[in-house]
Amino acid sequence: MPALLDARDLTFGYESTVPLLDQWSASFNAGEVVAITGPSGRGKSTLLYLLGLMLAPAAGQVLLDGEPVQSLPDRARARLRARQFGFVFQDAALDATRTVLDNVLETALYRGESRSEAVPVAEGLLERFGVQLRSEAKPGQVSGGQAQRIALCRALLGTPRILLADEPTGNLDPASSDVVVDAFHEHADSGATVIVVTHDPVLVERCDRSITL
Amino acid sequence: MSAGLRRLGGVIREALAAAASSPIASIATIIMVAGLCATVLLTTGRTVGAEQAVLGSIDSAGTRTTIVRAEPAAGLTSSVVTRLSTVDGIEWVAAFGPAFDVTNTLIPDGTKVAARFAYGAHLTSIGIPESSALPGSTAWGTALSLGQLGLVDHAGSVTNQSGANYPVAGQMDIPDWLGFLEPALFVPRAPVEPEPVAVLVVVAERPDLVAAVAPAVQSLLAVDDPTKITITTSEALAQLRALVQGQLGAFGRGLVLLILAVSGLLVAAILTGLVTLRRKDFGRRRALGATRGLIVSILLTQTLVLATLGAALGSGVASMVLAFSGDPLPGLAFTAAIAVLAIAVSVVAALIPAVVAARRDPIRELRVP
Repeated sequence: MPALLDARDLTFGYESTVPLLDQWSASFNAGEVVAITGPSGRGKSTLLYLLGLMLAPAAGQVLLDGEPVQSLPDRARARLRARQFGFVFQDAALDATRTVLDNVLETALYRGESRSEAVPVAEGLLERFGVQLRSEAKPGQVSGGQAQRIALCRALLGTPRILLADEPTGNLDPASSDVVVDAFHEHADSGATVIVVTHDPVLVERCDRSITL
Repeated sequence: MSAGLRRLGGVIREALAAAASSPIASIATIIMVAGLCATVLLTTGRTVGAEQAVLGSIDSAGTRTTIVRAEPAAGLTSSVVTRLSTVDGIEWVAAFGPAFDVTNTLIPDGTKVAARFAYGAHLTSIGIPESSALPGSTAWGTALSLGQLGLVDHAGSVTNQSGANYPVAGQMDIPDWLGFLEPALFVPRAPVEPEPVAVLVVVAERPDLVAAVAPAVQSLLAVDDPTKITITTSEALAQLRALVQGQLGAFGRGLVLLILAVSGLLVAAILTGLVTLRRKDFGRRRALGATRGLIVSILLTQTLVLATLGAALGSGVASMVLAFSGDPLPGLAFTAAIAVLAIAVSVVAALIPAVVAARRDPIRELRVP
């Protein structure tokens, strides 16, 4: 049975002669939480973007359920990102002009889901992660830790098979970090793969395995 | 709800939210399109209104008419109407017999009015019914002739010098190009045998057809003595009309194109600025799974909504200004056409910035500080 997500011989560099990743390979299975660690500037976030089909490698392939997906047309890759992947960016990347609830619901539009059906799910996620705000509150009115949890709610809304998180606990206190890591494991237990880029040794410790770049 | 409708609803909601989140750019777009519509309507629209008024005045003088006057010796008969009914390019034709004086039957010494037998199927357009209770002997008069005869209530009869009596059945309204027959009193007839005709009026479908219709009419007159015929056409008026229409129209078209081009560029510039400011927003959307088509749809819908608001605002304000200043209004069709054109130009102008936004590398945009 193929791995849920496979990276095969990925090579990538940002306009530099020395590639950040050179024929890098790894497999990620359903049900596991994997930490990616390493010093800054080694391409951890870039790897996450490559695995999430946001960047195209110079060489190599990303396989989903054993099928190469990197070479799919842009539209098909966008649909995969919307329906199979969840992303938590390092800076949360929330839309400051929209309400917190709208931010969580954003990806429902990209998946073609009904907003009215997604609202109770989004509210449940916000409550679960302790982000209980006025419905019209905007990201500018929340703390960095709350913003990160809102981003996590957005990523989990569509119950993605692959959750990619970039420093998801960087702005969180230990108690909130525990809630987030518990959520990662719970999500993985439902048959998903969770890949986390982190410098947090506590988080690395709680992952099923880690990969160092 | 179907997936298509749900997607459309989502796109509209996102477009409205995006417009609300960039109030300055949104207001600038609305003002730009409103200014476009208002400028066109207050300049070209006013010209179009004036053009329509001038053309209306020229048309009232009969830019499409050919009038044939025949002396009795010419031998022109009512059968000419039947022959002309098959000619292409003719909209209206009627023949009128020689004038004969009539007076109000009850006022034998009253004012005399020139009555004429009238021939042709198009008389219904001036208010004479196709058939009457007394075919061939019922008279219809204009307000002027009935007034002169003292038949202000349109009831009564008229009598000619031979004593023949013609009941008056009602009032008719004749167009300006039949004004030369005023004060007019017609007795419509459909004779089995041809009857003499003194005046033939032919109206072409368009002013530019007059030059072609007049010779056709002349060739179908079938008169005994062509020297007793006088033909007057409105060709000179038609040429003047075409000249006025051409010159005013060319000026208006040129100005509209210029204003549309400038406004289109400004709308494109505003949207380019907006897209640049919201690079991170579009990068996030793309990274989270929005397709390029969706990004383009949201931006174009946003522009469509704002441009529609602007077009409604600009058209409304300009129409009010024209109405208050007493200038001729260009008409609903012209106003609507300009509004639709302004919206279309705005959406087309938004297309390039929208496509640029959709094609940017999401990660590069997300990393914009």
